Amino acid sequence: MTVDRRQAAHRVDAEHLELGGGLEVLLAAAFERVAPGGVLEIRTPSRAVALELPGWARLAGHEPIDQISRADGYVVAIRRGTSARILAGPLSPRRTPPPLRDGELHTADWRGGGLPPEPDPRAGFAPLRAVPETGAPTRHWPLSRRDAIWADDVGELVDQASAQQWDASRDIPWEAADGLDDTTERAVAQVMTFLAQNEYAALYVPAGFLPQVNPQLVELVLWLGSHVHDEARHIEVFTKRSLAGGHHGYALASTELSLSTLLDGHDFTASSLLLNALGEGTFLDLLRFIEIHAPDAATAAAARLAHRDERRHVHFGISNIKRTVAIEPDSVGPLVAAAEARAAKLISLSGFSPVLVEALTIMAARSMIYPTPPRTSAG
Amino acid sequence: MSGAEPRLGAVAYRPRVVTIWERFRTYFADAGVPTDYILFSNYERLVEAVLDGTVEIGWNTNTAYMALDHRAGGHTRILGMRDVDRDWATVLVTRKGQLPDSVSELSGRVLALGSRDSGHAAILPLHYLAEEGLDVASCRLLRFDTDIGKHGDTGDSELHVVRAVADGEADAGALSAAYFSAFRAESVPAVAHLEVAWRSPPYYHCNFTVLDSLDREVSERWSQALLAMDYDDPSLRPAMELEGVRRWYPGDREGYASLQTAMREQALLS
Repeated sequence: MTVDRRQAAHRVDAEHLELGGGLEVLLAAAFERVAPGGVLEIRTPSRAVALELPGWARLAGHEPIDQISRADGYVVAIRRGTSARILAGPLSPRRTPPPLRDGELHTADWRGGGLPPEPDPRAGFAPLRAVPETGAPTRHWPLSRRDAIWADDVGELVDQASAQQWDASRDIPWEAADGLDDTTERAVAQVMTFLAQNEYAALYVPAGFLPQVNPQLVELVLWLGSHVHDEARHIEVFTKRSLAGGHHGYALASTELSLSTLLDGHDFTASSLLLNALGEGTFLDLLRFIEIHAPDAATAAAARLAHRDERRHVHFGISNIKRTVAIEPDSVGPLVAAAEARAAKLISLSGFSPVLVEALTIMAARSMIYPTPPRTSAG
Repeated sequence: MSGAEPRLGAVAYRPRVVTIWERFRTYFADAGVPTDYILFSNYERLVEAVLDGTVEIGWNTNTAYMALDHRAGGHTRILGMRDVDRDWATVLVTRKGQLPDSVSELSGRVLALGSRDSGHAAILPLHYLAEEGLDVASCRLLRFDTDIGKHGDTGDSELHVVRAVADGEADAGALSAAYFSAFRAESVPAVAHLEVAWRSPPYYHCNFTVLDSLDREVSERWSQALLAMDYDDPSLRPAMELEGVRRWYPGDREGYASLQTAMREQALLS
């Protein structure tokens, strides 16, 4: 068969490239410019390449239609296949990239437009602006409704979380943890054990929501990922502080029981209220107390760094609740009911463990000896 | 045949055959031509099954089709074939830098071939190369009969062929252009040392065959449903990719002449 020269408007010179040596990439790029059904002429000085090209063409979905031998080599004509290579619409034209802030590309700025209230569940793991190919397996994402889980400043919070990362191995003056007297160190170990025990729950709750979130709500995925990572580091740092002084504490059953009620919750915003706002809100005060009264610099640093993270988590919780309540006023009732249910469960427990209160007191006092009041001279 | 539902026989040359036919089975049901499938371990058994009515449609290799058509006295019809089946070809590969000017230069050398029941890797190469001037009788044939009964569908014997040539056990090797390109795409190490020395004229490969006695209305409806299969349908694409087809075509006998001659020459039609 001879190709009508008018059909072969596209030509490419393979020069000394071979199949298996990069020619495939050149040809794929060349075929991008050829309309389906159009013809591409490939020139090659190699007889072996010319003989192999028809097999490559079939494998790539094209139709080999002609091959001629010339004095300077070979010309192989291939008709582009009519099937779509990717089952998706065309990529959008190049658009203005997101703005930079002093050279920084912030998560809060990358979307540059509205977020759909109900993202397409079929888009799967398609990154922002990517065009998803149809035919991929679809998953059900239980958390797919933007208004049920969003916070208006979630992008800013993601950036803060990244900027404020720290290293529990290196950023704590661990040498300062060794050397307290037995009594004080035992108290510190008990407080650290209590903190670490709580941080497990603070990790497992957002970790449970994470795989339920529609990936198209990517800022929320990043946020929950950072939350989980923060809590992992808190578990790490408080466990390390407990170990660093040589004494160990009790993991109290009452603490475990209290935390288990958090794990039982399945509503995202109710969890924002109970874990982020109320639970971690309480932790802000506790961590500040520990930082101020810490008997050593390692304990103070661990509390200070964890406090910075918890403040961010509380911020997200409040932001999420405010938005939810503003958009869906009917959500107030269930939120109040969730808080009351947890309060009722906590009341049914034996209360805040005296073991912890005693440990906090001794840790803060750094001694079991009642200080002698200063003598006052008689007037 | 039970009612108007044709039964199709295919050879399970790889586990993916089940995936393919489970999807195609629902496709044919949705298209109004419910079709069940029965898998066989070899093409000889499939040919028998078409002849004795166990199945009405055989998804045959070219060699199986020739055997079936011969046994049925030429009273067969082709209901369709893949786009790739319409210009199948065999290539002869040699080590890089040892490209002969013509295949006749390979007379007296070692020639690697795939399974002896493979049309593309054994039967047709001997036929075409002799036509090209190769003195086949003077060559030592290094045969890899690793997938007998599968007629070369697995590609296993062809993998042995390319390795034998790359390792210097053979001076040249014959295999299908389709498998050579697939090996290249998969970066099979041996292929990096090889190049194509010769390419056969195109010939037909697989087809769906029925006996002439099958109700024409049934076979035509089945054929129409087959040809309507759309590669751009995302629910069909994965199965069609596994089957190596982008578009189905109606079949004809035209492209089987060379294989018929070759099989007669090699006393393979009885």
